[in-house]
Amino acid sequence: MASVIEVEELRKTYGSQVAVDGVSLEVSRGEIFGLLGPNGAGKTTMVECIQGLRRPDSGRVRVLGMDPQRETEALRRRIGSQLQESALPDRIRVWEALDLFASFMQGTTDWRALLEQWGLREKRGATFSSLSGGQRQRLFVALALLGHPEVVFLDELTQGLDPAARRVAWRLIRQVRDAGTTVVLVTHYMDEAEQLCDRLAIVDRGKIVALDSPQNLINRFANGIRVIFSTDQHDLGWLASVPHVRAVGRHGPRVEVDGTGPVLALVASALVAHGITPSDLRVEQPTLEDVFLAVTGGPAQEAFA
Amino acid sequence: MNPRSLVKLAWVETKLFTREPLALLFTLVFPLVVMIVIAGVFASSGGPVFSGVGGSEYYVAGYVGVVIGSIGLVSLPAHLAAYHERGILRRFRASSIPIWAVFGTQAIVSLVVAIASSLLLVLVALLFYRFDLPRSFSAVALGFVVSALGFMALGLLLATLSRSARVAQAVGLSLFFPMWLLSGAGPPPGVMPDTMRRVGDVLPLTHVVRAVQHPWFGLGLPGTDLVYLLVLLLAAGGLTAFVAGRG
Repeated sequence: MASVIEVEELRKTYGSQVAVDGVSLEVSRGEIFGLLGPNGAGKTTMVECIQGLRRPDSGRVRVLGMDPQRETEALRRRIGSQLQESALPDRIRVWEALDLFASFMQGTTDWRALLEQWGLREKRGATFSSLSGGQRQRLFVALALLGHPEVVFLDELTQGLDPAARRVAWRLIRQVRDAGTTVVLVTHYMDEAEQLCDRLAIVDRGKIVALDSPQNLINRFANGIRVIFSTDQHDLGWLASVPHVRAVGRHGPRVEVDGTGPVLALVASALVAHGITPSDLRVEQPTLEDVFLAVTGGPAQEAFA
Repeated sequence: MNPRSLVKLAWVETKLFTREPLALLFTLVFPLVVMIVIAGVFASSGGPVFSGVGGSEYYVAGYVGVVIGSIGLVSLPAHLAAYHERGILRRFRASSIPIWAVFGTQAIVSLVVAIASSLLLVLVALLFYRFDLPRSFSAVALGFVVSALGFMALGLLLATLSRSARVAQAVGLSLFFPMWLLSGAGPPPGVMPDTMRRVGDVLPLTHVVRAVQHPWFGLGLPGTDLVYLLVLLLAAGGLTAFVAGRG
């Protein structure tokens, strides 16, 4: 697949603080590419450099084959952007904002369709300040999608949204990708990255520490599986010798078996062979959070809570 | 850049201005109310202290100048500094709306508002007081436009230098009030002590008031004042471009 974004050895410092420390990545056409990491990891600086909104200290950036620093205006017309911590004038109305922004795009852009698609029709005449957090974010995405951009950058899109509004936003982002637009998603939410991204870079202290599809990351870095069940039987020493079992823990009647790969099936058949048929046998799969712990070597910070 | 986009931006900014109570209060209501009071108090005065015209005429012309000061020093910088502080300029820039377009249309909208506010002020004054209209409309218009351009440039500079709307508002108001009181639209310069008058002479609003009053009273084109305001326009405009380009 063709690359729409190529970044090589991107570096950006603010004074003595290194925000982006030698980052290289490629984003393919038509995928949702995620940058996942705690607040302050340098994700926003990365995407702002990629969009030409900040000047990197060094490194090479190409978006749609263009240099964001030199061909800024030409590039802006082909990308869309929802910026973190940006706003519109308090008293501008939803339709006025769409109409105004559309007039600065080349060609004709039907903002009315976007109004409909993003569920803002009833809010057409509402002022920006009267919109809820979710409605504001939907308006920002609608603005970012004006002019049919080839790449759209969404920075902490679902921050501050309630769970229902986040799910709506996820569905809409998938629609954007399915319509052929490449999406670069910046987030500090593990579940969002896991649910939404086709490929994902985990960012920690200005560096990319892992990059793959969410499932591959989990398979590679967090292959631990935990099998849980309850039993009254006390002598379970034989469990430790079942293949792929790493450890067995017990809290009263509750038994936790940590293992890898096919451990569930092996434990289940061993249990049956020993005449134990627990009705609450279940398995906990590892998540991106476990991957994050593994690749950063530190506890997930409070931003992930 | 499509010129129709700029017209649309200017139109949206005009609508936003009319929805902003503080801006309306400061640019329309405040000069109007003060003018009504002070032109009434000195309605029966006149003579050399009032440049040889009646007190009402002196103050009506003066407050046309004050309108320019309140827009340029108070409403314009606070508005644009809030745009900067809240990420509205970033939002615009990311959508191919350049900052110079936002600043430029804002200056034009402010000029239009200043004209509208001045016309309203004169019309209301005509209801209350008897005074003569400008001896030369074109010369007053010239003085008004040069003044407005100078003060819009000053307002843009204040907005660019202020990191937040609060700072812009505080700085704007603390510049506006002394400038206003010493401009000749407060006590007439003829009754001020020498030092106060000399301070007033270096402050820009004094030149705005004179640039409107002199041609209004038939005292000819105020050359020195116009030159002062043109220098202000170039200096503030140049500095704004320099600071904005660097940041």
